[in-house]
Amino acid sequence: MTPESVLRVVAEARGHALCVPTMTTAPAWREIAPDDLSVVCVGFMGGASSLGLGLALACPDRRVIVLDGDGSLLMQLGSLATIAGARPRNLLHLVFKNGVYHTSGSQEIPGGLSMDFAAMARAAGYPRACAIGEIGELRRRLAELLADEGPALVELHTTLADKTPMTSPGGVPFHQQVERLRERLRREP
Amino acid sequence: MPESIPASLVIDALKETFREARAVLAAEGYRRQPEHLGWVLSVPDTHQRTVLAALDKERAIRVLTCATEDEANAVAAGLYIGGEPCIAMIQHAGLYASVNTLRGVALDGRVPILYLIGLLGRERDRDPRESRHSMVRSCEPLLDTFGVPHARLEGPDDVRLVPEYYRLAQQRRGPVALLVGLETI
Repeated sequence: MTPESVLRVVAEARGHALCVPTMTTAPAWREIAPDDLSVVCVGFMGGASSLGLGLALACPDRRVIVLDGDGSLLMQLGSLATIAGARPRNLLHLVFKNGVYHTSGSQEIPGGLSMDFAAMARAAGYPRACAIGEIGELRRRLAELLADEGPALVELHTTLADKTPMTSPGGVPFHQQVERLRERLRREP
Repeated sequence: MPESIPASLVIDALKETFREARAVLAAEGYRRQPEHLGWVLSVPDTHQRTVLAALDKERAIRVLTCATEDEANAVAAGLYIGGEPCIAMIQHAGLYASVNTLRGVALDGRVPILYLIGLLGRERDRDPRESRHSMVRSCEPLLDTFGVPHARLEGPDDVRLVPEYYRLAQQRRGPVALLVGLETI
Protein backbone atom coordinates (compact mmCIF):
# COMPACT_ATOMS: atom_id res chain seq x y z
CA MET A 1 0.00 0.00 0.00
CA THR A 2 1.15 3.54 -0.63
CA PRO A 3 1.79 5.90 2.26
CA GLU A 4 -0.52 8.40 0.61
CA SER A 5 -3.40 5.91 0.63
CA VAL A 6 -2.72 5.18 4.31
CA LEU A 7 -2.73 8.88 5.15
CA ARG A 8 -6.03 9.39 3.35
CA VAL A 9 -7.60 6.59 5.40
CA VAL A 10 -6.17 8.11 8.59
CA ALA A 11 -7.46 11.56 7.63
CA GLU A 12 -10.96 10.19 7.10
CA ALA A 13 -11.02 8.38 10.44
CA ARG A 14 -9.11 10.71 12.77
CA GLY A 15 -11.92 13.01 13.86
CA HIS A 16 -10.31 15.64 16.10
CA ALA A 17 -7.18 13.63 16.77
CA LEU A 18 -3.87 15.46 16.96
CA CYS A 19 -1.38 14.16 14.40
CA VAL A 20 2.42 14.14 14.39
CA PRO A 21 3.84 13.37 10.93
CA THR A 22 7.57 13.24 10.25
CA MET A 23 9.96 12.84 7.32
CA THR A 24 8.22 11.29 4.28
CA THR A 25 4.73 11.41 5.77
CA ALA A 26 5.03 15.19 6.18
CA PRO A 27 4.67 16.50 2.59
CA ALA A 28 1.68 14.26 1.81
CA TRP A 29 -0.01 14.99 5.15
CA ARG A 30 0.32 18.72 4.44
CA GLU A 31 -1.83 18.24 1.34
CA ILE A 32 -4.22 15.60 2.67
CA ALA A 33 -4.92 17.22 6.04
CA PRO A 34 -4.09 20.94 5.82
CA ASP A 35 -5.40 21.83 9.27
CA ASP A 36 -4.01 23.21 12.50
CA LEU A 37 -4.38 20.03 14.55
CA SER A 38 -1.04 18.64 13.43
CA VAL A 39 2.56 19.40 14.28
CA VAL A 40 5.34 18.05 12.09
CA CYS A 41 8.42 16.63 13.77
CA VAL A 42 11.01 18.39 11.65
CA GLY A 43 14.62 19.22 12.50
CA PHE A 44 15.05 16.50 15.12
CA MET A 45 14.62 13.20 13.30
CA GLY A 46 13.43 10.44 15.58
CA GLY A 47 11.46 12.70 17.88
CA ALA A 48 7.93 12.11 16.56
CA SER A 49 7.06 9.37 19.03
CA SER A 50 8.21 11.41 22.03
CA LEU A 51 6.53 14.56 20.75
CA GLY A 52 3.35 12.53 20.41
CA LEU A 53 3.80 11.17 23.92
CA GLY A 54 4.03 14.68 25.35
CA LEU A 55 0.89 15.70 23.49
CA ALA A 56 -0.97 12.60 24.64
CA LEU A 57 -0.06 13.22 28.28
CA ALA A 58 -1.01 16.90 28.06
CA CYS A 59 -4.27 16.29 26.22
CA PRO A 60 -5.82 13.15 27.72
CA ASP A 61 -9.20 13.91 26.17
CA ARG A 62 -7.88 13.85 22.63
CA ARG A 63 -6.55 11.01 20.55
CA VAL A 64 -2.97 11.49 19.32
CA ILE A 65 -1.71 9.74 16.18
CA VAL A 66 2.02 9.57 15.46
CA LEU A 67 2.84 9.08 11.77
CA ASP A 68 6.34 7.72 12.29
CA GLY A 69 8.93 6.22 9.95
CA ASP A 70 10.97 3.07 10.44
CA GLY A 71 14.31 4.87 10.18
CA SER A 72 13.02 7.66 12.40
CA LEU A 73 11.85 5.31 15.12
CA LEU A 74 15.20 3.50 15.07
CA MET A 75 16.85 6.80 15.98
CA GLN A 76 14.98 6.90 19.29
CA LEU A 77 13.99 3.29 19.73
CA GLY A 78 14.08 3.69 23.50
CA SER A 79 10.94 5.80 23.16
CA LEU A 80 9.01 2.53 22.84
CA ALA A 81 9.92 1.76 26.45
CA THR A 82 9.22 5.32 27.58
CA ILE A 83 5.80 5.28 25.92
CA ALA A 84 4.98 1.85 27.28
CA GLY A 85 5.99 2.99 30.77
CA ALA A 86 3.87 6.14 30.57
CA ARG A 87 0.88 4.17 29.20
CA PRO A 88 -0.91 7.00 27.40
CA ARG A 89 -4.31 5.46 26.68
CA ASN A 90 -4.90 7.95 23.84
CA LEU A 91 -1.80 7.32 21.72
CA LEU A 92 -1.82 5.47 18.40
CA HIS A 93 1.66 4.98 16.97
CA LEU A 94 1.70 4.25 13.24
CA VAL A 95 5.07 3.21 11.83
CA PHE A 96 5.42 3.45 8.06
CA LYS A 97 7.85 0.68 7.20
CA ASN A 98 9.57 0.78 3.84
CA GLY A 99 12.98 -0.51 4.92
CA VAL A 100 14.97 2.51 3.76
CA TYR A 101 15.93 6.07 4.63
CA HIS A 102 13.92 7.40 1.72
CA THR A 103 14.62 11.09 2.31
CA SER A 104 18.40 10.74 2.25
CA GLY A 105 18.56 8.55 -0.84
CA SER A 106 16.92 5.24 0.06
CA GLN A 107 19.83 3.68 1.94
CA GLU A 108 18.65 0.54 3.70
CA ILE A 109 17.89 0.95 7.40
CA PRO A 110 19.83 -1.33 9.78
CA GLY A 111 18.12 -4.69 9.50
CA GLY A 112 16.12 -3.59 6.47
CA LEU A 113 12.64 -5.01 6.11
CA SER A 114 13.33 -7.75 8.65
CA MET A 115 12.87 -5.29 11.51
CA ASP A 116 9.71 -6.25 13.40
CA PHE A 117 8.50 -3.08 15.07
CA ALA A 118 5.27 -4.64 16.28
CA ALA A 119 7.24 -7.31 18.14
CA MET A 120 9.54 -4.65 19.56
CA ALA A 121 6.55 -2.64 20.79
CA ARG A 122 4.98 -5.67 22.42
CA ALA A 123 8.29 -6.54 24.06
CA ALA A 124 8.61 -2.99 25.34
CA GLY A 125 5.18 -3.20 26.91
CA TYR A 126 2.69 -1.71 24.45
CA PRO A 127 -0.58 -3.47 25.23
CA ARG A 128 -1.44 -3.60 21.53
CA ALA A 129 0.74 -3.97 18.45
CA CYS A 130 0.15 -5.46 15.03
CA ALA A 131 1.26 -5.26 11.41
CA ILE A 132 -0.96 -4.33 8.48
CA GLY A 133 0.03 -4.63 4.84
CA GLU A 134 -3.21 -4.11 2.96
CA ILE A 135 -5.20 -0.91 2.73
CA GLY A 136 -8.56 -2.64 3.02
CA GLU A 137 -7.54 -4.20 6.31
CA LEU A 138 -6.37 -0.83 7.61
CA ARG A 139 -9.69 0.72 6.60
CA ARG A 140 -11.57 -2.04 8.41
CA ARG A 141 -9.51 -1.91 11.60
CA LEU A 142 -8.61 1.75 12.06
CA ALA A 143 -11.80 2.82 13.84
CA GLU A 144 -11.29 0.05 16.37
CA LEU A 145 -7.63 0.94 16.79
CA LEU A 146 -8.59 4.54 17.46
CA ALA A 147 -11.30 3.58 19.92
CA ASP A 148 -9.30 1.01 21.88
CA GLU A 149 -7.23 1.86 24.90
CA GLY A 150 -3.62 2.50 23.94
CA PRO A 151 -0.83 2.87 23.54
CA ALA A 152 -1.02 0.86 20.35
CA LEU A 153 1.53 0.48 17.57
CA VAL A 154 0.76 -0.53 14.01
CA GLU A 155 3.55 -1.42 11.63
CA LEU A 156 2.35 -0.44 8.16
CA HIS A 157 4.02 -2.09 5.18
CA THR A 158 4.19 0.64 2.58
CA THR A 159 5.84 1.54 -0.67
CA LEU A 160 7.93 4.69 -0.98
CA ALA A 161 6.16 8.04 -0.78
CA ASP A 162 5.75 10.19 -3.87
CA LYS A 163 7.42 13.10 -2.11
CA THR A 164 10.07 13.57 0.56
CA PRO A 165 11.01 16.64 2.59
CA MET A 166 13.93 17.02 0.15
CA THR A 167 11.87 16.92 -3.05
CA SER A 168 9.01 18.86 -1.51
CA PRO A 169 10.39 21.24 1.10
CA GLY A 170 8.34 23.92 2.75
CA GLY A 171 5.46 24.01 5.12
CA VAL A 172 5.03 26.12 8.22
CA PRO A 173 8.22 26.42 10.32
CA PHE A 174 8.21 24.19 13.39
CA HIS A 175 8.08 27.03 15.92
CA GLN A 176 5.02 28.48 14.20
CA GLN A 177 3.32 25.09 14.19
CA VAL A 178 4.05 24.81 17.91
CA GLU A 179 2.43 28.13 18.72
CA ARG A 180 -0.47 27.56 16.33
CA LEU A 181 -1.40 24.21 17.83
CA ARG A 182 -0.82 25.49 21.37
CA GLU A 183 -3.25 28.34 20.73
CA ARG A 184 -5.81 25.98 19.22
CA LEU A 185 -5.58 23.65 22.22
CA ARG A 186 -5.87 26.57 24.63
CA ARG A 187 -9.25 27.37 23.08
CA GLU A 188 -10.31 23.74 22.55
CA PRO A 189 -8.47 21.47 25.01
CA MET B 1 32.72 27.26 48.61
CA PRO B 2 29.76 25.44 47.11
CA GLU B 3 27.32 23.62 49.37
CA SER B 4 25.00 20.68 48.78
CA ILE B 5 21.32 21.53 48.51
CA PRO B 6 18.73 19.47 50.41
CA ALA B 7 16.26 17.71 48.13
CA SER B 8 13.33 19.16 50.07
CA LEU B 9 14.36 22.69 49.06
CA VAL B 10 14.50 21.74 45.41
CA ILE B 11 11.09 20.08 45.62
CA ASP B 12 9.60 23.14 47.31
CA ALA B 13 11.09 25.36 44.61
CA LEU B 14 9.61 23.12 41.91
CA LYS B 15 6.19 23.28 43.53
CA GLU B 16 6.37 27.06 43.78
CA THR B 17 7.45 27.21 40.14
CA PHE B 18 4.63 25.00 38.93
CA ARG B 19 2.00 26.79 41.03
CA GLU B 20 3.04 30.07 39.50
CA ALA B 21 3.05 28.49 36.03
CA ARG B 22 -0.48 27.15 36.53
CA ALA B 23 -1.67 30.59 37.58
CA VAL B 24 -0.18 32.11 34.44
CA LEU B 25 -1.79 29.42 32.28
CA ALA B 26 -5.17 30.03 33.93
CA ALA B 27 -4.82 33.74 33.25
CA GLU B 28 -4.10 32.90 29.60
CA GLY B 29 -7.36 31.00 29.41
CA TYR B 30 -6.36 27.39 30.04
CA ARG B 31 -9.31 25.76 31.72
CA ARG B 32 -7.94 22.35 32.58
CA GLN B 33 -7.10 21.87 36.26
CA PRO B 34 -5.42 18.50 36.71
CA GLU B 35 -4.56 17.11 40.11
CA HIS B 36 -0.84 17.49 39.51
CA LEU B 37 1.05 20.78 39.36
CA GLY B 38 3.57 19.91 36.67
CA TRP B 39 6.00 17.43 35.19
CA VAL B 40 9.59 16.53 35.78
CA LEU B 41 11.15 14.83 32.77
CA SER B 42 14.05 12.86 34.05
CA VAL B 43 16.91 10.88 32.67
CA PRO B 44 18.27 9.70 35.99
CA ASP B 45 21.19 11.71 37.28
CA THR B 46 23.48 10.45 40.04
CA HIS B 47 24.09 14.01 41.15
CA GLN B 48 20.40 14.74 41.81
CA ARG B 49 19.36 11.28 42.97
CA THR B 50 18.08 12.49 46.35
CA VAL B 51 15.70 14.83 44.54
CA LEU B 52 14.55 12.02 42.26
CA ALA B 53 14.03 9.77 45.29
CA ALA B 54 11.97 12.46 47.02
CA LEU B 55 9.95 13.04 43.86
CA ASP B 56 8.91 9.40 43.94
CA LYS B 57 6.84 10.25 47.02
CA GLU B 58 5.39 13.47 45.62
CA ARG B 59 1.88 13.26 44.26
CA ALA B 60 1.73 16.88 43.14
CA ILE B 61 4.56 16.48 40.66
CA ARG B 62 4.48 13.84 37.98
CA VAL B 63 7.78 12.31 36.97
CA LEU B 64 8.34 10.78 33.57
CA THR B 65 11.57 8.84 33.25
CA CYS B 66 12.80 8.98 29.68
CA ALA B 67 15.29 6.63 28.07
CA THR B 68 17.28 9.51 26.59
CA GLU B 69 17.55 13.28 26.88
CA ASP B 70 16.49 13.52 23.21
CA GLU B 71 13.18 12.03 24.23
CA ALA B 72 12.87 14.40 27.17
CA ASN B 73 13.24 17.38 24.85
CA ALA B 74 10.57 16.15 22.45
CA VAL B 75 8.20 15.20 25.27
CA ALA B 76 8.70 18.69 26.71
CA ALA B 77 7.56 20.14 23.39
CA GLY B 78 4.39 18.08 23.44
CA LEU B 79 3.63 19.07 27.02
CA TYR B 80 4.26 22.73 26.21
CA ILE B 81 1.92 22.60 23.23
CA GLY B 82 -0.73 21.08 25.45
CA GLY B 83 -0.28 23.71 28.17
CA GLU B 84 1.44 21.55 30.78
CA PRO B 85 4.33 22.97 32.86
CA CYS B 86 7.49 20.88 32.92
CA ILE B 87 11.20 20.94 33.62
CA ALA B 88 13.96 18.51 32.66
CA MET B 89 16.42 16.97 35.12
CA ILE B 90 19.49 15.59 33.40
CA GLN B 91 23.23 15.19 33.81
CA HIS B 92 25.94 17.09 31.94
CA ALA B 93 26.63 13.98 29.84
CA GLY B 94 22.99 14.05 28.80
CA LEU B 95 23.31 17.62 27.67
CA TYR B 96 26.18 16.63 25.39
CA ALA B 97 24.20 13.62 24.14
CA SER B 98 21.17 15.69 23.19
CA VAL B 99 22.59 18.79 21.58
CA ASN B 100 20.66 18.24 18.34
CA THR B 101 17.29 18.13 20.04
CA LEU B 102 18.24 21.07 22.27
CA ARG B 103 18.82 22.93 19.02
CA GLY B 104 15.88 21.54 17.06
CA VAL B 105 13.24 21.60 19.80
CA ALA B 106 14.14 24.25 22.34
CA LEU B 107 16.06 26.73 20.17
CA ASP B 108 14.57 26.44 16.67
CA GLY B 109 11.19 25.31 17.97
CA ARG B 110 11.23 28.07 20.60
CA VAL B 111 10.01 25.68 23.27
CA PRO B 112 10.72 26.92 26.81
CA ILE B 113 12.62 24.25 28.71
CA LEU B 114 14.29 24.70 32.10
CA TYR B 115 17.06 22.14 32.55
CA LEU B 116 18.43 21.20 35.95
CA ILE B 117 21.81 19.79 34.99
CA GLY B 118 23.90 17.83 37.48
CA LEU B 119 27.60 18.63 37.30
CA LEU B 120 28.80 15.21 38.39
CA GLY B 121 32.51 15.44 39.21
CA ARG B 122 32.50 19.16 40.02
CA GLU B 123 35.33 19.77 42.49
CA ARG B 124 34.64 21.76 45.65
CA ASP B 125 37.84 23.73 45.34
CA ARG B 126 37.77 24.61 41.64
CA ASP B 127 35.62 26.74 39.42
CA PRO B 128 33.73 24.41 37.04
CA ARG B 129 35.35 26.10 34.04
CA GLU B 130 38.72 25.00 35.40
CA SER B 131 37.69 21.49 36.33
CA ARG B 132 39.99 18.57 35.67
CA HIS B 133 36.99 16.82 34.12
CA SER B 134 35.99 17.76 30.58
CA MET B 135 32.33 16.90 31.32
CA VAL B 136 32.31 19.60 34.02
CA ARG B 137 34.61 22.05 32.26
CA SER B 138 32.78 22.04 28.92
CA CYS B 139 29.24 22.49 30.18
CA GLU B 140 29.06 26.27 30.52
CA PRO B 141 31.04 26.94 27.31
CA LEU B 142 28.64 24.65 25.42
CA LEU B 143 25.62 26.49 26.78
CA ASP B 144 27.32 29.79 25.89
CA THR B 145 27.91 28.56 22.34
CA PHE B 146 24.21 27.91 21.91
CA GLY B 147 23.20 31.11 23.66
CA VAL B 148 21.45 29.27 26.48
CA PRO B 149 21.21 31.43 29.64
CA HIS B 150 22.53 29.57 32.65
CA ALA B 151 23.35 29.96 36.33
CA ARG B 152 24.79 27.82 39.08
CA LEU B 153 22.98 26.26 41.99
CA GLU B 154 25.83 26.39 44.45
CA GLY B 155 23.96 26.37 47.74
CA PRO B 156 20.55 26.38 49.44
CA ASP B 157 19.95 30.09 48.79
CA ASP B 158 20.22 29.52 45.06
CA VAL B 159 16.98 27.53 44.79
CA ARG B 160 15.27 30.91 44.32
CA LEU B 161 16.71 30.70 40.80
CA VAL B 162 14.39 27.81 39.91
CA PRO B 163 11.18 29.87 39.52
CA GLU B 164 13.21 32.79 38.19
CA TYR B 165 14.76 30.75 35.40
CA TYR B 166 11.48 29.02 34.62
CA ARG B 167 9.98 32.48 34.03
CA LEU B 168 13.02 33.40 31.94
CA ALA B 169 12.49 30.37 29.70
CA GLN B 170 8.86 31.33 29.15
CA GLN B 171 9.76 34.94 28.42
CA ARG B 172 12.53 33.98 25.98
CA ARG B 173 10.58 31.08 24.48
CA GLY B 174 13.63 28.86 24.65
CA PRO B 175 15.98 26.82 26.81
CA VAL B 176 17.62 27.92 30.07
CA ALA B 177 19.80 25.89 32.42
CA LEU B 178 20.63 25.68 36.11
CA LEU B 179 23.79 23.78 36.92
CA VAL B 180 23.68 21.79 40.14
CA GLY B 181 27.17 22.16 41.57
CA LEU B 182 27.38 19.55 44.29
CA GLU B 183 25.35 16.41 44.84
CA THR B 184 21.99 17.17 46.38
CA ILE B 185 21.39 15.68 49.84
